Amino acid sequence: MADPVASKPPLADDAGAVEFGDVAGASAGPPARGPLRRVALGLGSAALLGAMVTDSLSVAGRHLGFTILGTIEIVEMCIVVAATSALLITALDHGHARVRILLERIGEKAADRLDRLADALGVAVFLALAAGSIWLAGDLWNGHETTEVLDLPVRWFRAFWITGCLLCAAVFARRLVRRR
Amino acid sequence: MMTIAPEAVGGIGILVLLGALALGVPIGVGLALVALAGLALLLSPEAALIKAGVVTFGTISQYELGVLPLFVLMAHLCFAAGASRDFFDVAARFVGHRRGGLAMASIGGCAGFGAISGSSLATVATITSVALPEMRKANYAPSFATGALAAGGTLGSLVPPSGALIVFGIIAEQSIGKLFAAAIVPGATQALFYIIAIAILCRLNPALGPGTVRASWRERLAGLVKVLDVLALIVFVIGGLFIGWFTPTEAASVGSVAALLLCWWRGRLTRRALADALDATLRTTGMIYLVVTGAMLFATFISVTGIADWLAHFVISLHAGPTVAIIAMALVLLVLGSFLDGIALMLLTTPIFLPIVQDLGMSPIWFGIFLVRTMEIGFVHPPLGLNVYVIQGIAEDIPLPTIFRGIVPFLLADFVHLALLIAFPALALWLPGVVK
Repeated sequence: MADPVASKPPLADDAGAVEFGDVAGASAGPPARGPLRRVALGLGSAALLGAMVTDSLSVAGRHLGFTILGTIEIVEMCIVVAATSALLITALDHGHARVRILLERIGEKAADRLDRLADALGVAVFLALAAGSIWLAGDLWNGHETTEVLDLPVRWFRAFWITGCLLCAAVFARRLVRRR
Repeated sequence: MMTIAPEAVGGIGILVLLGALALGVPIGVGLALVALAGLALLLSPEAALIKAGVVTFGTISQYELGVLPLFVLMAHLCFAAGASRDFFDVAARFVGHRRGGLAMASIGGCAGFGAISGSSLATVATITSVALPEMRKANYAPSFATGALAAGGTLGSLVPPSGALIVFGIIAEQSIGKLFAAAIVPGATQALFYIIAIAILCRLNPALGPGTVRASWRERLAGLVKVLDVLALIVFVIGGLFIGWFTPTEAASVGSVAALLLCWWRGRLTRRALADALDATLRTTGMIYLVVTGAMLFATFISVTGIADWLAHFVISLHAGPTVAIIAMALVLLVLGSFLDGIALMLLTTPIFLPIVQDLGMSPIWFGIFLVRTMEIGFVHPPLGLNVYVIQGIAEDIPLPTIFRGIVPFLLADFVHLALLIAFPALALWLPGVVK
């Protein structure tokens, strides 16, 4: 990026990562690389640009006198894909927001133990979210849930979200195992 | 078997959450974990899991929440267009020759950049990297220069499109457009308070911020022309939102398209720049979505415990009046803000304080502004003061105590401003009543 902050290595990640959220301790390391991240980045980017274009066309249409039906539904499904991919990317980058006030003041061993605890709880939470979503999706699967205007099949987006949760749990679990 | 009152479970849950956050558990994970455990205890494990399934998919498929990643994308595209330092540059050309002028310009730069980034930390990092070298070259006192920058950076959290206000709007189910409108006057008066503080400090001690060479009108106009395109983008997006051309999510989408055009206009639109902007956007989005999803689950848990209603009845039974209750909340927020960062503070306290505020007959929109304003103070006061650490990361030779010393006058200005916001809610509520 051409941003002056980005030209200062120690701050480039901080300034970018805290954008909008203002949460401490995010972006502990440089972005991870690998095929999973590349796929998530590709899907998330396409979905984000899709949401941007769809909503903008909807606004243009409204002011120019033509209507595009179901744009909200398209944007909603784009956001599901973008948000799920984003969660996975942030988990891969070890970028989830944490309060670091204590972590930075204790010894390396104690900090490592707390990191392991955080990873273990991360696995538990993402598995619980996946379990709840699977339960719900299972109940709704045969009902062929679709959106109201465009009949978009919601179940495949639920499946995408569940896959994302399971992958996030796997990412936390892998980090937990590697720390041992 | 001994049973625990739901309100007590709520209280224990809050304490466990504070402990987990202090131990470095990711904020979203901590919120979700306490919520799930609490719901399992109060309802049943099955009900907790099903709630998790319903709330999480409901959150990530929410159209209104799409405003967050899209505004983040707009900000990153504006960075890619190189719009970061322009606001400080132009303000410095207009007022830099006055005593404390560069510090005043940095406040203007922070307000302008905040209107792109929506983030306090990004604002302070960017404007410090641009303005601090200029102030040091002009022999500004380090404590004064860094104090002004740390305080000015907090404007990024309040000036629309503020990320903190978007998150508040979503968890409190309030109109994001109204919140943005409500933030305009408090944001402008906050900047004005800082400028007045700078003027008073430099009048008392001119050595704090000596004047620099006066820029010619030709130079000033050239600087102004340079920011016209970014200004037009901001006015178009925020103005269009206020006059009802588009909803907040649409404003973010249109703003992103406009930011893409800005990149192209400035000759900065490359495949690499776009890829970097999307990558950074998704990293930030993932972080925020986990926190927001956890917060939605936590709000469900708090609502099931009934602790917020219990507290509201307790506050009303004291017959102390809304102002005393709000001052008590401000004190709690300031104490918690000493060790919790802003967004965690907001997500933890909104489900508890908002019902009390509503029971007291106060506006949730006003409360959102009050909460963000109080949260901002946490960015500069010790021991956490995240803005201070960001500045110290850039100017490593300036010790932390020096920066904290420089912040004191601005903190005083903050407290006076906060008191005004409490005494005159119209500061925040007038504009939302005027715009659509």
